[in-house]
Amino acid sequence: MMSTRALPSLRRTAFNPAFFRSHAGLRMVVPKRALKTQSMPPSAMTEILNKQRLNRPSSPHMTIYQPQLTWIASIANRFTGVGLSVLLYGFSLAYLVAPGTFDSAHIIEFVAGLPDGVKYAGKAILAAPFTFHSFNGLRHLGWDMGKFLSVKSAYSTGYVVLGATALSTAYLTFM
Amino acid sequence: MSFLLPTTSASLSGVLRRQSVRAFTSSARVAQAEPLQKPVLMKEFKVYRWNPDEPAKKPTLQSYKIDLNQTGPMILDALIKIKNEMDPTLTFRRSCREGICGSCAMNIDGQNTLACLCRIDRNPNKDSKIYPLPHMYIVKDLVPDLTLFYKQYKSIQPWLQNDNPPEKGTFLSLSPEDRKKLDGLYECILCACCSTSCPSYWWNQDEYLGPATLMQAYRWIADSRDTHGEERKERLQNEMSLYRCHTIFNCSRTCPKGLNPASAIANIKLELAAE
Amino acid sequence: MSAQLILRSTLPRALLSRRALPASAILIRHSTTDAYAPVPGGPIYKGTVNDPTTFPPPSRVHGSYHWAFERLLSAGLVPMTIAAFVTSGSQHPILDGLLGVSLIVHSHIGFDTLLVDYIHKRKFPILAPVMTWTLRTATVASIVGIYQFNTNDIGLTELITKVWTA
Repeated sequence: MMSTRALPSLRRTAFNPAFFRSHAGLRMVVPKRALKTQSMPPSAMTEILNKQRLNRPSSPHMTIYQPQLTWIASIANRFTGVGLSVLLYGFSLAYLVAPGTFDSAHIIEFVAGLPDGVKYAGKAILAAPFTFHSFNGLRHLGWDMGKFLSVKSAYSTGYVVLGATALSTAYLTFM
Repeated sequence: MSFLLPTTSASLSGVLRRQSVRAFTSSARVAQAEPLQKPVLMKEFKVYRWNPDEPAKKPTLQSYKIDLNQTGPMILDALIKIKNEMDPTLTFRRSCREGICGSCAMNIDGQNTLACLCRIDRNPNKDSKIYPLPHMYIVKDLVPDLTLFYKQYKSIQPWLQNDNPPEKGTFLSLSPEDRKKLDGLYECILCACCSTSCPSYWWNQDEYLGPATLMQAYRWIADSRDTHGEERKERLQNEMSLYRCHTIFNCSRTCPKGLNPASAIANIKLELAAE
Repeated sequence: MSAQLILRSTLPRALLSRRALPASAILIRHSTTDAYAPVPGGPIYKGTVNDPTTFPPPSRVHGSYHWAFERLLSAGLVPMTIAAFVTSGSQHPILDGLLGVSLIVHSHIGFDTLLVDYIHKRKFPILAPVMTWTLRTATVASIVGIYQFNTNDIGLTELITKVWTA
């Protein structure tokens, strides 16, 4: 550590022409290095490089990247899609395995017996991912057709999706 | 400067001469005056550090405090000041300092950009965090290993391929309309800001080409002089190379040159689907 | 769920760095070639720095056809969803059946994308095929389940309407 820090100042003195002119004798002494080099075949190059590569850390990514509408909306799209799909698969498989327990009559009866607060909360929890995924899906279809493909429209359509999600979730919850 | 005005009458020139004399004396006084002391504006910079000579040590954030009034306006100026005056071991790439070489690409306050084009936020109460480009193997400090990025760029054969080369003395013609299709594509400086901002590239960079390389792939597909478009497109017909793009838009959002890789990739997808 | 998968994608690197320690201790060059074998997503790449990366074999089924099918199906879900909102399922059993199957295929493609993104077989040679086949089984069973519900019970749209107003 100390030697590397000392180097720049040494270099500055060593390469200063005025310094050489006044100390002509030193010219022979200073540039010589005390370091000894080790001779290696060219074939050793890859191995040395690979040895270094294995030590290299991977730089931080998701944890340090600024939260932006772009990728946060994309993650939200994926999470809501997975959530709704798990629900759909879960219900279909449950009905396949135990059609007597998971038939419509039982489900409706169960939901009807819940307190009002739970009903509204449940509706909001279902409506928000469904509406967001639907509206954001339309945004994606627009992009795939070659529309709204600028950063500005990506943002404005993003805000439209958020607004439409909020309104339609409120409507579906209290309808 | 009044003394440079042409003199039209004797009386006017007399007035001007007096004024000019006054101007000279006052400027001389300014030269002798104490230089204006700018107030000290200390700001903290937290910089990612990792030293390959001590591989067992985990990467850390090192804090440096510098006076913004003694520093240039850009993040790169701050880094150079730190390296020159405080810690010569700090390692980063830089070259042109004007946003054309792409060397100083790094993650500044959570966004990938070029340090030479990124102004320092002059709020002294907020520190600035400087990381290398995200999800890359680090050679040292702010220097990522871009080997794979360049190997991927090479894989799309980024040169003009034409099976009917023009006769000697003539050249391949390019109409103004066809030339316009290359605008916004050819300006890319391959700084890797976009590719390393892309979550898909983070998880699958060994197989997914990433926005920078894909935009260059489109640059040659869109070139009317290139006759190998079909082969270029055929190479992208697989699960990984192109279709790991999920139109997240981080690439276009972060591009320090204001280019739009997301749009170029969407165009490739449309062209492939239309075949 | 996704967060876990994301974390898991960095797992090979963690394994790799652990393997790196004994590798650096070995001095004989010929026996170290295996220690420096490229691992997908690892810091050692195939070929020299001057060799371009290679492409997987071209396949339109995995490329543009898959992409176009996914978009057409998603676009088709738009009128189906709107129709499901304005009509009732018991009057239009065909719409109900179509919607059920389309939603499950749409979900299947989504789950499959997760597997390709986070648990690809080049990184997880055992787990990835297990997950792929689990998904395929679950998808087929779900299609059977939703078909039976649509034919033997009141159907998907009617169920949602009644649960919503229950």
